[in-house]
Amino acid sequence: MDRLQTWLWRYRGRVLAGFIALMIVNGATILVPLIIREAIDRLTRGEGGLLQSGLMITGLAVVVMAFRFLWRYFFIGAARRIERAIRAKLYSHLLGLSASFYNETKTGDLMAHATNDIEAVARACGFGIITIADPLFMIPVSVAIMASIDPRLTLYAVLPLPILALFMVWFGAVIHRRFEAVQEAFSTLMEKVRETVSGIRVVKSFVQERGTEIDFSTTNQLQVDRNMALVRIHGLFHPLIELLSGASLAIILWIGGIDVVRASISLGDFVAFTQYLSMLIWPMIAMGWAVNLIQRGRASLGRINRLLAETPEIVEPAKPRSLRGTRIEIRDLTFAYPSGNGRVASPALSDIQLTIDEGMTLGVVGLTGAGKSTLAHLIPRVFDPPVGTICIGGVDIRDVGLDELRRSIGFVPQDPFLFSATLAENIAFGAPEASREEIEEAATLAGFHEEILEFPEGYETTVGERGISLSGGQKQRVAIARALLLKPRIVIFDDPLSAVDAEREEYILGKLRKFFHGRTSILIAHRISAVMHADQTIVIDKGRIVERGTHDELIAGGGIYERIWRLQQAERRAIQP
Amino acid sequence: MNGHFHEDEVLGKAFDARLMRRLIRFLKPYRALFAACVLLTVFIAGLQLVIPYVSKVAIDAYMTLPRSILALDAAPSEGNPIDLGDGRYLVEIQAVPPELRRDWETAGALSTERYLLIEAGSDEAEVVERYPEALTAVPGGWIASEEDLRALPTRDLERLRGSAIAGIVRLAALFAVVLLVRFVFTILQVYLLQYTGQRVMYDMRRGLFAHVLRLPLRFFDRNPVGRLVTRVTNDVAAINEMFTSMLVNLFRDAFLILGILIVMFGLEWRLALVIFALFPVIVFAAWQFRNRVRVAYREVRRQIARLNAYIQESISGMRIIQLFVQELKANERFSEINQAKYAAQIRQMLTFAVFRPMMSFLSSFAIALVIWYGGFNVLRGSLSLGALTAFIQYARMLFEPVLNLSEGYNVLQAAMASSERIFRLLDEDAEDPGAGEAFPAPEGRIEFRDVWFAYNEEDWVLKGVSFVAEPGRHVAIVGPTGSGKTTIIRILLRMYPIQKGEILLDGVPIERLDLAYLRSRMAVVLQDVFLFSGDIMDNIRLRSDIPEEVAIESARFVNADFVEALPDGYHTEVKERGVTLSVGERQLLSFARAVAFDPTVLVLDEATASIDSHTEALIQRSLHKIMEGRTSIVIAHRLSTIREADRIIVLHKGELVESGTHEQLLALDGLYAALHSLQFAETGEGVLRDASD
Repeated sequence: MDRLQTWLWRYRGRVLAGFIALMIVNGATILVPLIIREAIDRLTRGEGGLLQSGLMITGLAVVVMAFRFLWRYFFIGAARRIERAIRAKLYSHLLGLSASFYNETKTGDLMAHATNDIEAVARACGFGIITIADPLFMIPVSVAIMASIDPRLTLYAVLPLPILALFMVWFGAVIHRRFEAVQEAFSTLMEKVRETVSGIRVVKSFVQERGTEIDFSTTNQLQVDRNMALVRIHGLFHPLIELLSGASLAIILWIGGIDVVRASISLGDFVAFTQYLSMLIWPMIAMGWAVNLIQRGRASLGRINRLLAETPEIVEPAKPRSLRGTRIEIRDLTFAYPSGNGRVASPALSDIQLTIDEGMTLGVVGLTGAGKSTLAHLIPRVFDPPVGTICIGGVDIRDVGLDELRRSIGFVPQDPFLFSATLAENIAFGAPEASREEIEEAATLAGFHEEILEFPEGYETTVGERGISLSGGQKQRVAIARALLLKPRIVIFDDPLSAVDAEREEYILGKLRKFFHGRTSILIAHRISAVMHADQTIVIDKGRIVERGTHDELIAGGGIYERIWRLQQAERRAIQP
Repeated sequence: MNGHFHEDEVLGKAFDARLMRRLIRFLKPYRALFAACVLLTVFIAGLQLVIPYVSKVAIDAYMTLPRSILALDAAPSEGNPIDLGDGRYLVEIQAVPPELRRDWETAGALSTERYLLIEAGSDEAEVVERYPEALTAVPGGWIASEEDLRALPTRDLERLRGSAIAGIVRLAALFAVVLLVRFVFTILQVYLLQYTGQRVMYDMRRGLFAHVLRLPLRFFDRNPVGRLVTRVTNDVAAINEMFTSMLVNLFRDAFLILGILIVMFGLEWRLALVIFALFPVIVFAAWQFRNRVRVAYREVRRQIARLNAYIQESISGMRIIQLFVQELKANERFSEINQAKYAAQIRQMLTFAVFRPMMSFLSSFAIALVIWYGGFNVLRGSLSLGALTAFIQYARMLFEPVLNLSEGYNVLQAAMASSERIFRLLDEDAEDPGAGEAFPAPEGRIEFRDVWFAYNEEDWVLKGVSFVAEPGRHVAIVGPTGSGKTTIIRILLRMYPIQKGEILLDGVPIERLDLAYLRSRMAVVLQDVFLFSGDIMDNIRLRSDIPEEVAIESARFVNADFVEALPDGYHTEVKERGVTLSVGERQLLSFARAVAFDPTVLVLDEATASIDSHTEALIQRSLHKIMEGRTSIVIAHRLSTIREADRIIVLHKGELVESGTHEQLLALDGLYAALHSLQFAETGEGVLRDASD
């Protein structure tokens, strides 16, 4: 797995260029006190030539300015490139992971990896490297120059600085912990407000305003306490830096001042000393900081690597075969969802035997949780059925090329997930190159075309968070159009019209009957009226097929199917005037 | 991760006196603390100014020799002159006013060489006697140049310069004291300031939250939850940022800039003028920087939000992406967004990469100016060496407050925008608390008298509905979805005010009743039971002070036995990290909740969801028990509930079309009879489903 170094190595050109620029900046910066020293010594002797000193300082400042730009450009540029590359890698990895992974992983955790962790890696690679490189040069060189002026004074003056660095290491860790605690309290606060507002009806009906307020004050106070805990440490940060660096200056004033009086160093030396010392403060802080930045970056990269190490469960067969026909044959299918903790879950489907001949329609009926959706999801290999249990056109679906298998199936899920894009883009999701005619045709088939035209921007209306929100029934029809547009050879409808009323469902399905003609279809529905025209219908109960046959046969059978049918018939008559 | 990226980032003006006055009101209770913070801040800034001055004094008074030789026709009036004869005078430089000194310098009358005067008869004179040829005798003592002194052994040099060394030690000690004082006061200041800020935020959040709780439901229909959350959290934080970082620093920075300028002008006004000439450039650069940083920062934020939204959506829609084999396309789109974010961050980096070094160049340039022009002034005598070094430090110090101030502008602007939003929320009218009537022992008679109601004007949801529920009697409301059943519950609890007609509780219009009283007399059980995070106990007694025993008793009363089988019984967490409760169990919990509050009137929306038969039976039994002796208004779906009601009212499109007992309505052979015969006739069980189910 890639480590921080590996990533930096990949951008070594930039990192090196940044390093060189930083060295030039440091080199130029370090000369300035020498010039000032020279100027002051000349002044003590009553000599002039100060214009030259001023020009030299200005010249160096120009160099510093230019190369400061460059080191930022190279270092931060490299860090952002690393960030971009890791994120791209992570995203394409996510695209390959299977449904069972997403069932077990919280979206929030994944988002945290994709945002906070990558950000932490970028920080470690950018400022982290700077905080290492900077002291590496500044500290030895400044100390060397100071020592060449007066080793004894250098020793005394530098004394408080390592304390500063050590303090920063400890400090960074504690602050980080307390900061996380503040963040957590902040989330709690948000969640509390969110929950209260969501449950405002309950709060009001039970007149719980006072109590809720008192309860809120605990959360509110927690936020104050956590913040103050952070302040107690964080509040020391600047004062302590000021104190320790000030202590160094006091030492210089004391010992160095006496040295000047004793004429063992010049006044220029004294001034140069104070300047070098103030130059040392930042690298000392940086050293301590670097430890934390790198540590955090490493931990974050570790988490990202763990995620990248997840292997997709559903994989392309070694030798993909092509689909020849669309006859679906299911043999001895027993399926249990993979459970994360290694326990064996009870099977969602047991002993399914089923054949759908090419071009035929299978209706599937059953109560919620009976296993209908599971059956639907096994065919496009959202979850993998056991080897040899599901064949299409005589080929085990696990031997068919994954893309080919999925492309030949038009799938309409129960929950019609739409993307925040225009209606046209959503309908053409599976075939982005589709023409407007094809899109409209699919929408018409799904019984949604007229309604779309009534939207302010028609097919260009954006849906989702940033656009208008569609009703459940509208979303479902977009999802149907999305599947139909592909003109798939196999169609799977997983109860896609639950949110529209019965008449409309019947109307839409009536129009679709022609579409189904010649396509092998699986039609899951909770209304009998939706499946009554199917060539064959099965009733699933607790994972098993309990009834099967045509509508008439099933009615005659007097089982679950017949009971549901009668209830639904009665309901329909009731609402007809 | 939180998803509040959609916040309206429209920023208005940076300062609005009206908003500011209202904001300051929140500071009022803490004005003493706040004033202390400001005072401390200014005091610390003052100490900051002292530090370079200490080294100035050390250099001028002790590190350089105090006297020069002045060639003048007449004895000068200043500088404690000692006549050396030949029109030469030994003067103490520090005691000469700068103007006079400059005149001497320009005339070339003052020696650049400095001397130490050793007075005859002093302790140091004894040292001199050992080196008679090394020093020059003058009237009243000896003088020594720097060079003369350097030739002496260190010990003797130290004796001669004993007072200077003592002075330096004193100054170093003073310096250390200043440091310590600054250290302690800074910590105190930070702590006090943050504490004040936190208290102000606490108050603001409390006030906002309390206000939100009392807003009418209509308000919640209009405002998404996320927006309200942002008001109470992020917007308040933006204001805190202003109080703690910007407002106080404003005082500090202004004071520092002013202080530095005053000190500089005091030291050497021409040099100060030269530095001051740079000031507009600094301010201009800082201002430009601020603007660009803000623009760049906003773009970065926008791109981050876009990227996060895209990743989030991809994760939620992963199944669709994979089923439709759109991985490549998704990846392409991602690359675009990832690239856009990268580009925005690079632009932000460039802004910093250009302006930061530019600011530091300006600061270096200021130092070059000090060296050149200041050095020139030193040579002509109007500036001491110590003052020159102090100038270098002051020039450095001048830059930070300017940058801070320009940064503060952004903070101020954000805070103004946030406070505008907060005050808009605070200005929303709270619910009318009612005219305050209450009875000690309510009977629970409910009457609807020709009630008309619309959520939106004229779009009537209820059209002239009238019915009476006598105390202790049960009314069942039946009708298809959209007939107005749920609305009846809402207006009965006065969640929404009605437009026409009257709703009476025990003969009193509900508007005249105290709102809290009205609602506390009724308990509502809704179909989909809202659970708060916390344990089962919290969800039964909510935030009231109902004792645990009563809550447990209520749960037992409604047969919510399942609770006792849970891992932690009544203290089992629900929702996140807790158990998932079934629909039936949630129903039972809400029954327990209703019973615990012991209402006079029970308002119930029966669940239509399919519940397993065991739980279903439990619920039916519990329902009987809790309705016993209470006036009940039930949106009924189950035949048994309907049949046993004292009165059934049938709603259709907001109108009351039939009403009476089960038998009466069957005899009427109208809508109710039709509904009944279709759904319940054969089996005698089942659920009266809404027609659209």
